[in-house]
Amino acid sequence: MSELTQSSAPRRFIGGQLLGSSQLVLGVILAVLCIAISIAAPQFYSEANIIAILRQCALVLIVASGMTMLIITAEVDLSVGASLAFVGCIGMAVLNSTHSLTLGLLAALAFSGAVGLFNGLVVTMLKVNSLIATIGTMMMLQGGVYLFTREAVQNHHRLAGFTDLGAGYIGAIPLPVVVAAVIFALAAATLRFTTLGRYLYAVGANERAVRLSGVRSQRLKLFAFVVTGLCVGIAGMILSSLMNAGQPTAGRGFELTVIAAVILGGTSLLGGRGSLLGTLLGVLVLKVIDNGIIILGWNQDLQMVVPGIVIILATYLDIVRNRANVG
Amino acid sequence: MSVDFLHPDETVAVDKSVPALEMRGIGKRFPGVVALDNVDLTLEPGKIHALMGENGAGKSTLIKIMAGVYGKDAGNIRLRGREADIKSPRDSLKEGIKVVFQEIALIAEFSVAENIFLEGYPTGKGGSIDWKKIRADAAALFRRIGFNVDPAARTGSLPVSQQQMVEIARALVHEARVVVMDEPTSSLTPNEVSLLFTVIRRLAALGIAVLYVSHKLDEVFEIADTVTVLRDGRHVSTRPISEHTNDTLIQDMIGRRIENLFPRKRGAPGSKVALSVQGLSTAKKLKDVSFEAHAGEVLGFFGLMGAGRTELAKAIVGFDPITSGTISVDGSPLLPHDTHTGVRLGIGLLTEDRKSEGLMGELPVYQNASLASLGAFARMGFVDKASERKAVQDYVDRFRIRTPSLFQQVKNLSGGNQQKVLISRWLMRGLKVIVVDEPTRGIDVGAKSEIFALIDRLAGEGLAVVMMTSEMPELLGLADRIAVMCEGRLTAIMSRDEATQENILNAAIG
Repeated sequence: MSELTQSSAPRRFIGGQLLGSSQLVLGVILAVLCIAISIAAPQFYSEANIIAILRQCALVLIVASGMTMLIITAEVDLSVGASLAFVGCIGMAVLNSTHSLTLGLLAALAFSGAVGLFNGLVVTMLKVNSLIATIGTMMMLQGGVYLFTREAVQNHHRLAGFTDLGAGYIGAIPLPVVVAAVIFALAAATLRFTTLGRYLYAVGANERAVRLSGVRSQRLKLFAFVVTGLCVGIAGMILSSLMNAGQPTAGRGFELTVIAAVILGGTSLLGGRGSLLGTLLGVLVLKVIDNGIIILGWNQDLQMVVPGIVIILATYLDIVRNRANVG
Repeated sequence: MSVDFLHPDETVAVDKSVPALEMRGIGKRFPGVVALDNVDLTLEPGKIHALMGENGAGKSTLIKIMAGVYGKDAGNIRLRGREADIKSPRDSLKEGIKVVFQEIALIAEFSVAENIFLEGYPTGKGGSIDWKKIRADAAALFRRIGFNVDPAARTGSLPVSQQQMVEIARALVHEARVVVMDEPTSSLTPNEVSLLFTVIRRLAALGIAVLYVSHKLDEVFEIADTVTVLRDGRHVSTRPISEHTNDTLIQDMIGRRIENLFPRKRGAPGSKVALSVQGLSTAKKLKDVSFEAHAGEVLGFFGLMGAGRTELAKAIVGFDPITSGTISVDGSPLLPHDTHTGVRLGIGLLTEDRKSEGLMGELPVYQNASLASLGAFARMGFVDKASERKAVQDYVDRFRIRTPSLFQQVKNLSGGNQQKVLISRWLMRGLKVIVVDEPTRGIDVGAKSEIFALIDRLAGEGLAVVMMTSEMPELLGLADRIAVMCEGRLTAIMSRDEATQENILNAAIG
């Protein structure tokens, strides 16, 4: 249908301008959800509830920030949930034996960064598809954490700073929310304004073209894997602080929530397309649904069912929108 | 289904005075564009009729109307003298029109014979399929068109050229009176092309009207009796091929004269060695290739399909690994052997496969152009977008890249404009050696001369241009020296003055 090229070019261009509208759609969905829930349950807008939602969002957003970069390069990491649990256990164990918050955090970051590096090397050097590679890592970590500890690693060190990690505030804002906001801002600025960010999109859009242009595409992917790993390290320590223990069973299904938020936010699994703003909205939508189900007193199992429906619907809407643009 | 088509020497019973297909005043609109406007086309039985035009001229729309893929908005179609109403691909087949599209529509997992009789298997007792008969009938069909394919072979395992033959054989099963071939040679080797031509002539001899859709001039001159040219959805001319020359055909296709397809503005090449390749071998293809390219020179590489040109191109820029040999750019060895080092030393590849190795289709024009030189627009790691866009805009203006804006997704540009974006990518980076692989593949005749002018300019600015091409006119028109490859080896290097089509082809055959 090459005959169409000339005429459809301007229309596609308008479509390109409206590309941000996947975020617009998401924003509208979010607003509708908030209004609907608050009509049914006015306590939705209480300060306590909003802070609870934000704290819920923080963990997901921290990891989703790294995951957005990774998916933009057309790779994915399914091991983040398993890694999250393992990191908490290791961090807590190091805290117990050293009584140093710094060493505990460093151990957690070193471990999770190493997991990211391992994933990245398997994908870039051994050329194993990232979906498969990180399922492998996930299984190794899920089993490995039980080799490390059969039960939860309890808090024996009583470090006040550690408790603050999850429960502290800066002004009126919970510390995890501040941490998430900082990581989000850094990642968003990187993707939007830096050469590194531009290369991440480029690798996802066409890795061979990037390589031919003299850019080391493997290192870019490796970078995204390690950043995702480090985000897991931070989130894992916050989670263990919130639970006041390193839980080997924590984080089951966490990877799905994170990836769902990223995809919901309009980032393409094929790479080269996506934004952190979208991811933020995706996280908010999922967590507002979660919260709504709880405060409306619905069956909690719906917390899995409803987001599942939302993801399929949102992705379908995206396809419809793209089709409308192409004509 | 009748079986009379099985007699190898029988011709289709046709009245040669009645056109096999007549299209009158065909019109077709898509939202926002007139794809076809009042187009006429008449196909005579037993004749080969070429349909030519640039991309966007309306060729594919017209044949899709014949095939029943699109409906027409205006005009009428007559088959063998009577009005025909084609509403679906099924109608079209029933009316005796068989279109062989570029994308081959066979079931890869089925045998050749099964594919041929897909629409109706001959059945034996109790409705069971008569496999023996299917194979025998298929073999007979191939004999009839003068081509040999094993009917039991799995279709997907055959080369494209043979799959095309299977499609053509299907035309005979349907007793087609009109066979349409859409750009059938785009992925064939020269040998396969000549086989295909034999088969097409055989079809014509059987009394079938053949419509041959192509934009390759030499092929059309070789095979067609008559040629119809479309431009911008309108009928431009229908003339016997004998009344055309290369120039008149091009003029009809692009609507203006091209004075000189290969304008040479650059001076004589320098003597400074910009690229030196010594004893280069790769695991799969290349064997002991050595040559030098000078600054300001276009060194053309010719070879038949499979000679190793693309492999050489990818090896010397560091994209594909090598097993032995040295490459140096301006005296510096390409070590380690990767594209990062290559680009740093100043050698880059303009790929033959724009879609999978060149373009980032979803991303805007300016990001595609600046990909290799992004570092030059960075301050502390941040992209200075204003200066980046200004630099790209500069190239868009200089090279007359037709795009609505810098933010247009590059996949929406025409092939010629995409190629200019990719050339800009390298010029913005600044190279000493540029390797161009089939620089005009998939590019319209009109845009070709612009690409040639650009290549001339690159050499004029002092780059060494290493050009891989399978197009003889391109080679003779642009190159200062000509290197010829055969099966991974370099078989000759000659100056432009020594080169003739004959000695180039001799060296290419080995």
